[in-house]
Amino acid sequence: MLEFARYDAAKRIKGSVYLAVGMSLLATFAVWAYPSYSEAMDMEQLREAFPEPMIQAFNIQTMASLEGFLAVELYMFGWVILLGLYIAYSAASIIADDIDRGRMDTLLSMPVSRPRLALERFAALGVPILAVNVVTPVVVLVSADLIGESLAVVDVVALHLLSIPYLFACGGIGLVASVLFDRASIAQRVALGVTFGIYLVESLLTGTDYEGLGAIAPMRYFNPNEVLINGTYDLVGAAILIGMMSILIIVSQLWFVQRDL
Amino acid sequence: MGAIELDGLTKDYGDVLANDDVSFSVETGEIFGYLGPNGAGKTTTIRMLLGFINPTAGTARVLGNDIRDRKALIEAKHRIGHLSDDQAFDEQATGTEILDLHAAVKGDERRAELLDLFDPPLDRQVRDYSSGNVQKLGLVTTFMHDPDLVILDEPTGGLDPLVKHRFAEFLRAERERGVTVFFSSHILSEVRRLCDRVGIIRDGRLVTVDPIETLLSRSGKVVRINSAGPIPTEFVDIDGVHDLETSVPDGHVADPDTEFTECTFTFTGDINALLARLPDHEMVDVSIEEAPLEDVFLRFYGGDEDA
Repeated sequence: MLEFARYDAAKRIKGSVYLAVGMSLLATFAVWAYPSYSEAMDMEQLREAFPEPMIQAFNIQTMASLEGFLAVELYMFGWVILLGLYIAYSAASIIADDIDRGRMDTLLSMPVSRPRLALERFAALGVPILAVNVVTPVVVLVSADLIGESLAVVDVVALHLLSIPYLFACGGIGLVASVLFDRASIAQRVALGVTFGIYLVESLLTGTDYEGLGAIAPMRYFNPNEVLINGTYDLVGAAILIGMMSILIIVSQLWFVQRDL
Repeated sequence: MGAIELDGLTKDYGDVLANDDVSFSVETGEIFGYLGPNGAGKTTTIRMLLGFINPTAGTARVLGNDIRDRKALIEAKHRIGHLSDDQAFDEQATGTEILDLHAAVKGDERRAELLDLFDPPLDRQVRDYSSGNVQKLGLVTTFMHDPDLVILDEPTGGLDPLVKHRFAEFLRAERERGVTVFFSSHILSEVRRLCDRVGIIRDGRLVTVDPIETLLSRSGKVVRINSAGPIPTEFVDIDGVHDLETSVPDGHVADPDTEFTECTFTFTGDINALLARLPDHEMVDVSIEEAPLEDVFLRFYGGDEDA
Protein backbone atom coordinates (compact mmCIF):
# COMPACT_ATOMS: atom_id res chain seq x y z
CA MET A 1 0.00 0.00 0.00
CA LEU A 2 0.92 3.65 -0.41
CA GLU A 3 3.46 2.99 -3.17
CA PHE A 4 1.81 5.57 -5.42
CA ALA A 5 1.46 8.11 -2.62
CA ARG A 6 5.14 7.70 -1.82
CA TYR A 7 6.16 7.93 -5.46
CA ASP A 8 4.08 11.06 -6.05
CA ALA A 9 5.14 12.62 -2.78
CA ALA A 10 8.79 12.24 -3.76
CA LYS A 11 8.01 13.83 -7.13
CA ARG A 12 6.35 16.78 -5.42
CA ILE A 13 9.16 17.63 -3.03
CA LYS A 14 11.08 19.92 -5.37
CA GLY A 15 8.05 21.94 -6.39
CA SER A 16 6.95 22.15 -2.78
CA VAL A 17 10.26 23.67 -1.76
CA TYR A 18 9.83 26.35 -4.44
CA LEU A 19 6.27 26.92 -3.31
CA ALA A 20 7.29 27.29 0.34
CA VAL A 21 10.07 29.68 -0.61
CA GLY A 22 7.72 31.71 -2.80
CA MET A 23 5.03 32.01 -0.16
CA SER A 24 7.65 32.83 2.45
CA LEU A 25 8.89 35.67 0.27
CA LEU A 26 5.33 36.93 -0.05
CA ALA A 27 4.98 36.70 3.74
CA THR A 28 8.26 38.52 4.36
CA PHE A 29 7.22 41.24 1.96
CA ALA A 30 3.83 41.66 3.64
CA VAL A 31 5.35 41.91 7.11
CA TRP A 32 8.14 44.21 5.92
CA ALA A 33 5.69 46.52 4.12
CA TYR A 34 3.38 46.94 7.12
CA PRO A 35 5.40 49.54 9.14
CA SER A 36 5.94 51.85 6.17
CA TYR A 37 2.21 51.71 5.36
CA SER A 38 1.10 52.28 8.92
CA GLU A 39 3.48 55.17 9.38
CA ALA A 40 2.56 56.83 6.11
CA MET A 41 -1.19 56.78 6.56
CA ASP A 42 -4.13 56.03 8.73
CA MET A 43 -4.76 52.36 8.08
CA GLU A 44 -8.47 52.68 8.76
CA GLN A 45 -8.60 55.19 5.95
CA LEU A 46 -6.75 52.76 3.74
CA ARG A 47 -9.47 50.23 4.44
CA GLU A 48 -12.16 52.77 3.60
CA ALA A 49 -10.31 53.63 0.41
CA PHE A 50 -10.92 50.13 -0.98
CA PRO A 51 -14.09 49.88 -3.09
CA GLU A 52 -16.89 48.05 -1.29
CA PRO A 53 -16.83 44.89 -3.46
CA MET A 54 -13.14 44.51 -2.72
CA ILE A 55 -13.64 44.94 1.00
CA GLN A 56 -16.21 42.22 0.70
CA ALA A 57 -14.14 39.99 -1.57
CA PHE A 58 -11.11 40.14 0.66
CA ASN A 59 -13.21 40.25 3.80
CA ILE A 60 -11.20 43.25 4.96
CA GLN A 61 -12.06 43.92 8.61
CA THR A 62 -9.22 46.13 9.72
CA MET A 63 -5.84 47.05 8.41
CA ALA A 64 -4.89 48.97 11.52
CA SER A 65 -2.96 46.10 13.05
CA LEU A 66 -0.35 43.72 11.69
CA GLU A 67 -2.86 40.91 12.26
CA GLY A 68 -5.50 42.61 10.17
CA PHE A 69 -3.00 43.62 7.52
CA LEU A 70 -1.61 40.08 7.19
CA ALA A 71 -5.07 38.55 7.21
CA VAL A 72 -5.83 40.52 4.05
CA GLU A 73 -2.53 40.91 2.26
CA LEU A 74 -1.02 37.50 3.00
CA TYR A 75 -3.78 35.11 3.99
CA MET A 76 -6.85 36.22 2.04
CA PHE A 77 -4.80 36.87 -1.05
CA GLY A 78 -1.95 34.36 -0.66
CA TRP A 79 -3.71 31.46 1.02
CA VAL A 80 -7.40 31.61 0.26
CA ILE A 81 -6.98 32.71 -3.34
CA LEU A 82 -3.49 31.93 -4.63
CA LEU A 83 -2.78 28.68 -2.82
CA GLY A 84 -6.37 27.51 -3.11
CA LEU A 85 -6.19 27.97 -6.87
CA TYR A 86 -2.75 26.41 -7.07
CA ILE A 87 -3.80 23.27 -5.20
CA ALA A 88 -6.98 22.92 -7.27
CA TYR A 89 -4.91 23.37 -10.43
CA SER A 90 -2.32 20.89 -9.27
CA ALA A 91 -4.93 18.29 -8.31
CA ALA A 92 -6.54 18.64 -11.72
CA SER A 93 -3.63 16.86 -13.35
CA ILE A 94 -3.62 13.88 -10.95
CA ILE A 95 -5.63 11.64 -13.28
CA ALA A 96 -6.14 13.69 -16.44
CA ASP A 97 -2.46 14.16 -17.15
CA ASP A 98 -1.77 10.42 -17.19
CA ILE A 99 -4.74 9.79 -19.44
CA ASP A 100 -3.70 12.69 -21.65
CA ARG A 101 -0.18 11.37 -22.04
CA GLY A 102 -1.14 7.73 -22.46
CA ARG A 103 0.39 6.63 -19.18
CA MET A 104 -2.78 5.46 -17.47
CA ASP A 105 -2.79 2.04 -19.17
CA THR A 106 0.73 1.41 -17.95
CA LEU A 107 -0.20 2.41 -14.41
CA LEU A 108 -3.38 0.36 -14.34
CA SER A 109 -1.71 -2.72 -15.76
CA MET A 110 -0.29 -2.95 -12.26
CA PRO A 111 -2.51 -4.56 -9.63
CA VAL A 112 -4.01 -1.34 -8.27
CA SER A 113 -7.62 -0.21 -8.19
CA ARG A 114 -8.55 3.12 -9.68
CA PRO A 115 -10.00 4.49 -6.39
CA ARG A 116 -6.78 3.60 -4.59
CA LEU A 117 -4.65 5.22 -7.28
CA ALA A 118 -6.72 8.42 -7.15
CA LEU A 119 -6.70 8.54 -3.35
CA GLU A 120 -2.98 7.89 -2.96
CA ARG A 121 -2.04 10.51 -5.50
CA PHE A 122 -4.45 12.97 -3.93
CA ALA A 123 -2.81 12.30 -0.57
CA ALA A 124 0.54 13.26 -2.08
CA LEU A 125 -0.82 16.82 -2.32
CA GLY A 126 -0.07 16.80 1.38
CA VAL A 127 3.57 17.46 0.56
CA PRO A 128 3.14 20.98 -0.88
CA ILE A 129 0.32 21.73 1.57
CA LEU A 130 2.38 20.76 4.59
CA ALA A 131 5.62 22.26 3.32
CA VAL A 132 4.08 25.68 2.80
CA ASN A 133 2.28 25.58 6.13
CA VAL A 134 5.33 24.53 8.10
CA VAL A 135 7.82 26.96 6.61
CA THR A 136 5.71 30.10 6.24
CA PRO A 137 4.47 30.53 9.84
CA VAL A 138 8.06 30.39 11.04
CA VAL A 139 8.98 33.06 8.52
CA VAL A 140 5.97 35.19 9.49
CA LEU A 141 6.75 35.01 13.22
CA VAL A 142 10.46 35.72 12.77
CA SER A 143 9.79 38.62 10.38
CA ALA A 144 7.22 40.14 12.76
CA ASP A 145 9.72 39.91 15.56
CA LEU A 146 12.33 41.64 13.42
CA ILE A 147 10.11 44.66 12.80
CA GLY A 148 9.28 44.80 16.48
CA GLU A 149 5.69 43.60 16.23
CA SER A 150 4.41 40.68 18.18
CA LEU A 151 1.94 38.18 16.82
CA ALA A 152 0.14 35.55 18.85
CA VAL A 153 2.09 32.41 18.03
CA VAL A 154 -0.88 30.17 18.77
CA ASP A 155 -3.11 32.12 16.39
CA VAL A 156 -0.58 31.97 13.55
CA VAL A 157 -0.06 28.25 14.05
CA ALA A 158 -3.82 27.69 14.29
CA LEU A 159 -4.39 29.66 11.12
CA HIS A 160 -1.96 27.49 9.20
CA LEU A 161 -3.42 24.30 10.66
CA LEU A 162 -6.93 25.42 9.70
CA SER A 163 -5.77 26.19 6.18
CA ILE A 164 -4.82 22.54 5.64
CA PRO A 165 -8.39 21.20 5.36
CA TYR A 166 -9.24 24.26 3.28
CA LEU A 167 -6.49 23.54 0.77
CA PHE A 168 -7.36 19.83 0.61
CA ALA A 169 -10.97 20.79 -0.11
CA CYS A 170 -9.74 22.96 -3.01
CA GLY A 171 -7.70 19.94 -4.12
CA GLY A 172 -10.92 17.93 -4.10
CA ILE A 173 -12.39 20.31 -6.68
CA GLY A 174 -9.33 19.71 -8.85
CA LEU A 175 -9.60 15.95 -8.43
CA VAL A 176 -13.18 15.94 -9.68
CA ALA A 177 -12.09 17.93 -12.74
CA SER A 178 -9.25 15.49 -13.20
CA VAL A 179 -11.51 12.45 -13.56
CA LEU A 180 -14.11 14.28 -15.64
CA PHE A 181 -11.78 15.46 -18.39
CA ASP A 182 -9.22 13.52 -20.42
CA ARG A 183 -7.13 16.53 -21.26
CA ALA A 184 -5.02 17.87 -18.43
CA SER A 185 -5.13 21.42 -19.78
CA ILE A 186 -8.92 21.43 -19.80
CA ALA A 187 -9.16 19.84 -16.34
CA GLN A 188 -6.77 22.46 -14.99
CA ARG A 189 -8.68 25.35 -16.52
CA VAL A 190 -11.98 24.01 -15.25
CA ALA A 191 -10.53 23.53 -11.77
CA LEU A 192 -9.21 27.10 -11.74
CA GLY A 193 -12.44 28.52 -13.12
CA VAL A 194 -14.70 26.65 -10.72
CA THR A 195 -12.59 27.37 -7.65
CA PHE A 196 -12.35 31.06 -8.44
CA GLY A 197 -15.98 31.16 -9.48
CA ILE A 198 -17.29 29.79 -6.21
CA TYR A 199 -14.95 32.09 -4.33
CA LEU A 200 -16.59 35.04 -6.08
CA VAL A 201 -20.03 33.63 -5.48
CA GLU A 202 -19.28 33.24 -1.79
CA SER A 203 -17.73 36.66 -1.27
CA LEU A 204 -19.91 38.79 -3.53
CA LEU A 205 -23.26 37.27 -2.64
CA THR A 206 -22.74 37.78 1.06
CA GLY A 207 -25.55 39.93 2.35
CA THR A 208 -27.78 39.28 -0.65
CA ASP A 209 -30.74 36.96 -1.01
CA TYR A 210 -28.46 34.44 -2.68
CA GLU A 211 -26.05 34.21 0.21
CA GLY A 212 -27.02 30.57 0.69
CA LEU A 213 -25.25 29.65 -2.53
CA GLY A 214 -21.95 30.43 -0.89
CA ALA A 215 -22.42 27.42 1.38
CA ILE A 216 -20.79 25.24 -1.26
CA ALA A 217 -17.63 27.35 -1.20
CA PRO A 218 -14.71 26.11 0.89
CA MET A 219 -13.82 29.77 1.48
CA ARG A 220 -16.84 30.16 3.72
CA TYR A 221 -15.32 27.77 6.25
CA PHE A 222 -11.85 29.21 6.49
CA ASN A 223 -11.61 32.79 7.76
CA PRO A 224 -8.11 34.20 8.43
CA ASN A 225 -9.59 37.39 9.94
CA GLU A 226 -11.39 35.55 12.68
CA VAL A 227 -8.32 33.60 13.63
CA LEU A 228 -5.80 36.43 13.58
CA ILE A 229 -7.93 39.35 14.78
CA ASN A 230 -10.40 37.67 17.12
CA GLY A 231 -8.45 34.55 18.00
CA THR A 232 -11.47 32.35 17.31
CA TYR A 233 -11.01 29.03 15.59
CA ASP A 234 -13.82 27.68 13.47
CA LEU A 235 -13.48 23.96 14.17
CA VAL A 236 -16.91 23.21 12.77
CA GLY A 237 -15.78 24.90 9.56
CA ALA A 238 -12.70 22.69 9.50
CA ALA A 239 -14.88 19.62 9.96
CA ILE A 240 -17.13 20.77 7.12
CA LEU A 241 -14.06 21.21 4.91
CA ILE A 242 -12.88 17.69 5.70
CA GLY A 243 -16.36 16.43 4.89
CA MET A 244 -16.35 18.42 1.66
CA MET A 245 -13.00 16.96 0.69
CA SER A 246 -14.20 13.45 1.46
CA ILE A 247 -17.31 13.88 -0.64
CA LEU A 248 -15.28 15.25 -3.55
CA ILE A 249 -12.82 12.35 -3.30
CA ILE A 250 -15.61 9.78 -3.21
CA VAL A 251 -17.42 11.39 -6.14
CA SER A 252 -14.16 11.35 -8.11
CA GLN A 253 -13.52 7.72 -7.27
CA LEU A 254 -17.03 6.66 -8.20
CA TRP A 255 -16.80 8.42 -11.53
CA PHE A 256 -13.28 7.27 -12.25
CA VAL A 257 -13.93 3.62 -11.47
CA GLN A 258 -16.78 3.17 -13.92
CA ARG A 259 -15.68 5.31 -16.84
CA ASP A 260 -13.90 4.16 -19.96
CA LEU A 261 -10.31 5.26 -20.22
CA MET B 1 -9.75 -23.70 -18.97
CA GLY B 2 -8.11 -21.25 -21.34
CA ALA B 3 -5.89 -18.45 -20.11
CA ILE B 4 -8.15 -16.00 -21.94
CA GLU B 5 -11.73 -16.76 -22.98
CA LEU B 6 -13.73 -14.19 -24.92
CA ASP B 7 -17.45 -14.67 -25.00
CA GLY B 8 -19.27 -12.42 -27.41
CA LEU B 9 -17.13 -9.46 -26.41
CA THR B 10 -18.58 -6.30 -27.94
CA LYS B 11 -17.64 -2.64 -27.78
CA ASP B 12 -19.98 -0.24 -29.47
CA TYR B 13 -18.85 3.38 -29.62
CA GLY B 14 -22.01 4.43 -31.38
CA ASP B 15 -20.38 5.54 -34.60
CA VAL B 16 -17.94 2.61 -34.60
CA LEU B 17 -18.49 -1.00 -33.63
CA ALA B 18 -14.93 -1.53 -32.45
CA ASN B 19 -15.47 -5.15 -31.37
CA ASP B 20 -18.45 -7.06 -32.68
CA ASP B 21 -19.34 -10.24 -30.79
CA VAL B 22 -15.76 -11.52 -30.59
CA SER B 23 -15.37 -15.02 -29.15
CA PHE B 24 -12.27 -17.19 -28.99
CA SER B 25 -9.97 -18.62 -26.38
CA VAL B 26 -6.26 -18.61 -25.79
CA GLU B 27 -4.99 -21.88 -24.35
CA THR B 28 -2.63 -21.95 -21.41
CA GLY B 29 0.97 -22.13 -22.56
CA GLU B 30 0.53 -21.08 -26.18
CA ILE B 31 1.61 -18.03 -28.10
CA PHE B 32 -1.49 -16.61 -29.69
CA GLY B 33 -1.20 -13.96 -32.37
CA TYR B 34 -3.97 -11.41 -32.74
CA LEU B 35 -3.62 -10.15 -36.24
CA GLY B 36 -5.21 -7.26 -38.02
CA PRO B 37 -4.39 -3.90 -39.57
CA ASN B 38 -4.40 -0.71 -37.57
CA GLY B 39 -7.92 0.19 -36.54
CA ALA B 40 -9.27 -3.37 -36.76
CA GLY B 41 -10.08 -3.44 -33.05
CA LYS B 42 -7.10 -5.28 -31.56
CA THR B 43 -6.29 -2.67 -28.94
CA THR B 44 -9.98 -2.35 -28.03
CA THR B 45 -10.10 -6.08 -27.25
CA ILE B 46 -6.94 -5.88 -25.16
CA ARG B 47 -8.13 -2.82 -23.25
CA MET B 48 -11.40 -4.58 -22.41
CA LEU B 49 -9.48 -7.67 -21.25
CA LEU B 50 -7.51 -5.49 -18.85
CA GLY B 51 -10.52 -3.57 -17.57
CA PHE B 52 -9.56 -0.19 -19.03
CA ILE B 53 -12.83 0.02 -20.94
CA ASN B 54 -16.15 -1.69 -20.28
CA PRO B 55 -17.68 -4.06 -22.82
CA THR B 56 -21.01 -2.98 -24.28
CA ALA B 57 -22.05 -6.64 -24.36
CA GLY B 58 -20.49 -10.03 -23.78
CA THR B 59 -17.62 -10.67 -21.46
CA ALA B 60 -14.31 -12.45 -21.12
CA ARG B 61 -12.38 -14.38 -18.54
CA VAL B 62 -8.72 -13.72 -17.95
CA LEU B 63 -6.93 -16.42 -15.91
CA GLY B 64 -10.39 -17.53 -14.88
CA ASN B 65 -11.57 -14.12 -13.70
CA ASP B 66 -14.54 -12.39 -15.26
CA ILE B 67 -13.35 -9.01 -16.51
CA ARG B 68 -16.52 -7.38 -15.13
CA ASP B 69 -15.43 -8.39 -11.63
CA ARG B 70 -13.08 -5.46 -11.00
CA LYS B 71 -11.65 -6.77 -7.76
CA ALA B 72 -10.83 -10.19 -9.16
CA LEU B 73 -9.28 -8.69 -12.27
CA ILE B 74 -7.03 -6.40 -10.22
CA GLU B 75 -5.96 -9.36 -8.10
CA ALA B 76 -5.22 -11.32 -11.29
CA LYS B 77 -2.90 -8.55 -12.48
CA HIS B 78 -0.27 -9.86 -10.10
CA ARG B 79 0.01 -12.70 -12.62
CA ILE B 80 -0.45 -10.67 -15.80
CA GLY B 81 2.10 -8.66 -17.73
CA HIS B 82 0.88 -6.00 -20.16
CA LEU B 83 2.71 -3.98 -22.74
CA SER B 84 0.58 -1.22 -24.21
CA ASP B 85 0.75 -0.29 -27.89
CA ASP B 86 1.65 3.22 -26.85
CA GLN B 87 3.82 2.55 -23.86
CA ALA B 88 4.44 5.73 -21.87
CA PHE B 89 6.07 6.43 -18.55
CA ASP B 90 6.47 9.45 -16.30
CA GLU B 91 8.89 11.53 -18.39
CA GLN B 92 10.49 13.12 -15.37
CA ALA B 93 11.37 9.82 -13.74
CA THR B 94 14.48 7.78 -14.44
CA GLY B 95 14.19 4.19 -15.62
CA THR B 96 15.25 3.01 -12.18
CA GLU B 97 12.52 5.05 -10.47
CA ILE B 98 9.91 3.56 -12.79
CA LEU B 99 11.14 0.03 -12.15
CA ASP B 100 11.23 0.64 -8.40
CA LEU B 101 7.59 1.74 -8.44
CA HIS B 102 6.55 -1.33 -10.42
CA ALA B 103 8.66 -3.55 -8.16
CA ALA B 104 7.03 -2.15 -5.03
CA VAL B 105 3.54 -2.79 -6.41
CA LYS B 106 3.91 -6.18 -8.10
CA GLY B 107 7.39 -7.58 -7.46
CA ASP B 108 10.56 -7.84 -9.52
CA GLU B 109 11.91 -11.40 -9.30
CA ARG B 110 13.25 -11.23 -12.84
CA ARG B 111 14.40 -7.64 -13.07
CA ALA B 112 18.15 -8.32 -13.29
CA GLU B 113 17.76 -11.08 -15.84
CA LEU B 114 15.53 -8.92 -18.03
CA LEU B 115 17.86 -5.96 -17.83
CA ASP B 116 20.59 -8.18 -19.25
CA LEU B 117 18.41 -8.83 -22.27
CA PHE B 118 16.77 -5.45 -22.71
CA ASP B 119 18.97 -2.69 -21.40
CA PRO B 120 17.29 0.73 -21.32
CA PRO B 121 19.51 3.53 -19.93
CA LEU B 122 18.21 3.31 -16.37
CA ASP B 123 19.93 6.38 -14.97
CA ARG B 124 18.47 8.72 -17.56
CA GLN B 125 15.09 10.39 -17.39
CA VAL B 126 12.46 8.81 -19.58
CA ARG B 127 12.04 12.12 -21.42
CA ASP B 128 15.46 11.47 -22.99
CA TYR B 129 14.57 7.94 -24.11
CA SER B 130 14.25 6.91 -27.73
CA SER B 131 11.06 5.03 -28.59
CA GLY B 132 13.12 1.83 -28.66
CA ASN B 133 14.33 2.43 -25.13
CA VAL B 134 10.81 3.17 -23.90
CA GLN B 135 9.79 -0.15 -25.42
CA LYS B 136 12.68 -1.96 -23.73
CA LEU B 137 11.73 -0.45 -20.39
CA GLY B 138 8.17 -1.57 -21.11
CA LEU B 139 9.31 -5.13 -21.77
CA VAL B 140 11.10 -5.16 -18.42
CA THR B 141 8.03 -3.87 -16.56
CA THR B 142 5.88 -6.41 -18.42
CA PHE B 143 7.90 -9.46 -17.40
CA MET B 144 9.66 -8.42 -14.18
CA HIS B 145 7.08 -9.95 -11.83
CA ASP B 146 7.22 -13.30 -13.64
CA PRO B 147 3.62 -13.29 -14.93
CA ASP B 148 1.75 -16.41 -16.04
CA LEU B 149 0.05 -14.51 -18.85
CA VAL B 150 1.41 -11.67 -20.91
CA ILE B 151 -0.69 -9.46 -23.14
CA LEU B 152 1.43 -7.57 -25.62
CA ASP B 153 0.02 -4.93 -27.93
CA GLU B 154 2.32 -4.48 -30.92
CA PRO B 155 5.36 -5.38 -28.84
CA THR B 156 8.14 -4.95 -31.38
CA GLY B 157 7.35 -1.43 -32.56
CA GLY B 158 10.43 0.74 -32.19
CA LEU B 159 12.81 -2.14 -31.49
CA ASP B 160 15.85 -2.48 -33.70
CA PRO B 161 16.28 -5.79 -35.57
CA LEU B 162 18.82 -7.19 -33.12
CA VAL B 163 16.58 -6.59 -30.11
CA LYS B 164 13.60 -7.86 -32.08
CA HIS B 165 15.44 -11.11 -32.62
CA ARG B 166 16.39 -11.29 -28.96
CA PHE B 167 12.78 -10.64 -28.02
CA ALA B 168 11.57 -13.47 -30.27
CA GLU B 169 14.03 -15.88 -28.68
CA PHE B 170 12.95 -14.70 -25.25
CA LEU B 171 9.27 -15.20 -26.04
CA ARG B 172 9.87 -18.76 -27.22
CA ALA B 173 11.78 -19.51 -24.03
CA GLU B 174 8.88 -18.06 -22.03
CA ARG B 175 6.50 -20.43 -23.77
CA GLU B 176 8.78 -23.33 -22.83
CA ARG B 177 8.43 -22.19 -19.22
CA GLY B 178 4.67 -22.44 -19.56
CA VAL B 179 3.87 -18.75 -19.95
CA THR B 180 0.85 -17.89 -22.07
CA VAL B 181 1.42 -15.11 -24.58
CA PHE B 182 -1.30 -13.12 -26.29
CA PHE B 183 0.08 -10.61 -28.68
CA SER B 184 -1.34 -8.36 -31.29
CA SER B 185 0.44 -7.38 -34.42
CA HIS B 186 -0.04 -6.10 -37.90
CA ILE B 187 3.37 -7.45 -38.88
CA LEU B 188 2.80 -10.82 -40.44
CA SER B 189 6.29 -12.22 -40.52
CA GLU B 190 6.49 -11.66 -36.78
CA VAL B 191 3.32 -13.59 -36.11
CA ARG B 192 4.45 -16.40 -38.33
CA ARG B 193 7.81 -16.73 -36.58
CA LEU B 194 6.36 -16.79 -33.12
CA CYS B 195 2.78 -17.91 -32.91
CA ASP B 196 1.15 -21.28 -32.43
CA ARG B 197 -2.27 -20.01 -33.37
CA VAL B 198 -3.56 -16.88 -34.95
CA GLY B 199 -6.81 -15.00 -34.69
CA ILE B 200 -7.53 -12.54 -37.44
CA ILE B 201 -9.73 -9.54 -36.76
CA ARG B 202 -11.16 -7.26 -39.36
CA ASP B 203 -13.42 -4.26 -38.81
CA GLY B 204 -14.08 -5.43 -35.27
CA ARG B 205 -15.15 -8.93 -36.28
CA LEU B 206 -13.15 -12.08 -35.75
CA VAL B 207 -12.56 -13.58 -39.19
CA THR B 208 -10.83 -16.81 -38.27
CA VAL B 209 -8.81 -18.58 -35.61
CA ASP B 210 -6.36 -21.14 -36.96
CA PRO B 211 -3.11 -22.86 -36.16
CA ILE B 212 -0.40 -21.10 -38.07
CA GLU B 213 0.22 -24.18 -40.30
CA THR B 214 -3.42 -24.31 -41.34
CA LEU B 215 -3.29 -20.70 -42.22
CA LEU B 216 -0.20 -21.27 -44.31
CA SER B 217 -1.62 -24.34 -46.03
CA ARG B 218 -4.84 -22.53 -46.76
CA SER B 219 -2.79 -19.81 -48.28
CA GLY B 220 -1.17 -22.36 -50.61
CA LYS B 221 2.06 -22.29 -52.56
CA VAL B 222 3.36 -19.84 -55.05
CA VAL B 223 4.35 -21.73 -58.20
CA ARG B 224 6.58 -20.28 -60.90
CA ILE B 225 7.17 -22.12 -64.16
CA ASN B 226 9.64 -21.19 -66.84
CA SER B 227 9.73 -23.63 -69.77
CA ALA B 228 11.95 -23.82 -72.81
CA GLY B 229 8.97 -24.44 -75.16
CA PRO B 230 5.33 -23.32 -75.12
CA ILE B 231 2.85 -25.06 -72.79
CA PRO B 232 -0.90 -24.85 -73.44
CA THR B 233 -2.61 -22.69 -70.84
CA GLU B 234 -5.26 -25.37 -70.22
CA PHE B 235 -2.64 -27.49 -68.42
CA VAL B 236 -2.69 -25.12 -65.49
CA ASP B 237 -6.36 -24.26 -65.71
CA ILE B 238 -7.38 -26.60 -62.87
CA ASP B 239 -8.97 -26.42 -59.42
CA GLY B 240 -6.73 -24.88 -56.79
CA VAL B 241 -5.00 -22.49 -59.15
CA HIS B 242 -5.50 -18.83 -58.30
CA ASP B 243 -4.19 -15.54 -59.56
CA LEU B 244 -2.81 -17.13 -62.71
CA GLU B 245 -0.52 -14.96 -64.77
CA THR B 246 1.00 -16.24 -68.01
CA SER B 247 3.37 -14.62 -70.42
CA VAL B 248 5.47 -15.24 -73.47
CA PRO B 249 8.66 -13.22 -73.31
CA ASP B 250 10.27 -11.89 -76.46
CA GLY B 251 12.25 -14.49 -78.38
CA HIS B 252 9.78 -17.34 -77.73
CA VAL B 253 7.41 -18.54 -80.39
CA ALA B 254 3.98 -19.16 -78.83
CA ASP B 255 0.44 -17.86 -78.98
CA PRO B 256 0.06 -15.75 -75.84
CA ASP B 257 -3.73 -16.34 -75.84
CA THR B 258 -3.48 -20.11 -75.46
CA GLU B 259 0.10 -20.85 -74.55
CA PHE B 260 2.86 -19.69 -72.24
CA THR B 261 6.49 -20.22 -71.46
CA GLU B 262 6.41 -18.37 -68.18
CA CYS B 263 3.68 -18.39 -65.55
CA THR B 264 3.07 -17.77 -61.86
CA PHE B 265 0.08 -18.71 -59.74
CA THR B 266 -0.94 -19.57 -56.21
CA PHE B 267 -1.82 -23.21 -55.77
CA THR B 268 -3.94 -24.61 -52.94
CA GLY B 269 -4.42 -28.18 -54.26
CA ASP B 270 -2.23 -31.30 -54.15
CA ILE B 271 1.15 -30.38 -55.52
CA ASN B 272 1.71 -33.93 -56.94
CA ALA B 273 -1.40 -33.66 -59.04
CA LEU B 274 -0.09 -30.45 -60.45
CA LEU B 275 3.34 -31.86 -61.26
CA ALA B 276 1.76 -34.89 -62.93
CA ARG B 277 -0.17 -32.63 -65.26
CA LEU B 278 2.81 -30.77 -66.50
CA PRO B 279 3.68 -32.05 -69.99
CA ASP B 280 6.96 -33.48 -70.94
CA HIS B 281 8.57 -30.18 -71.71
CA GLU B 282 12.02 -29.04 -70.98
CA MET B 283 11.94 -26.75 -67.99
CA VAL B 284 14.28 -23.85 -67.54
CA ASP B 285 13.17 -23.28 -63.96
CA VAL B 286 10.37 -24.35 -61.62
CA SER B 287 9.93 -23.01 -58.12
CA ILE B 288 7.33 -23.87 -55.49
CA GLU B 289 7.37 -21.64 -52.46
CA GLU B 290 5.21 -21.02 -49.44
CA ALA B 291 2.89 -18.11 -50.04
CA PRO B 292 3.86 -14.98 -48.17
CA LEU B 293 1.58 -14.42 -45.18
CA GLU B 294 0.76 -11.05 -46.68
CA ASP B 295 -1.22 -12.94 -49.31
CA VAL B 296 -3.10 -14.85 -46.64
CA PHE B 297 -3.84 -11.60 -45.04
CA LEU B 298 -4.98 -9.97 -48.24
CA ARG B 299 -7.21 -12.92 -48.92
CA PHE B 300 -8.98 -12.44 -45.60
CA TYR B 301 -9.18 -8.76 -46.07
CA GLY B 302 -10.30 -9.16 -49.61
CA GLY B 303 -13.21 -11.13 -48.15
CA ASP B 304 -12.54 -14.01 -50.55
CA GLU B 305 -12.03 -16.76 -48.03
CA ASP B 306 -11.89 -19.84 -50.21
CA ALA B 307 -9.52 -18.38 -52.76
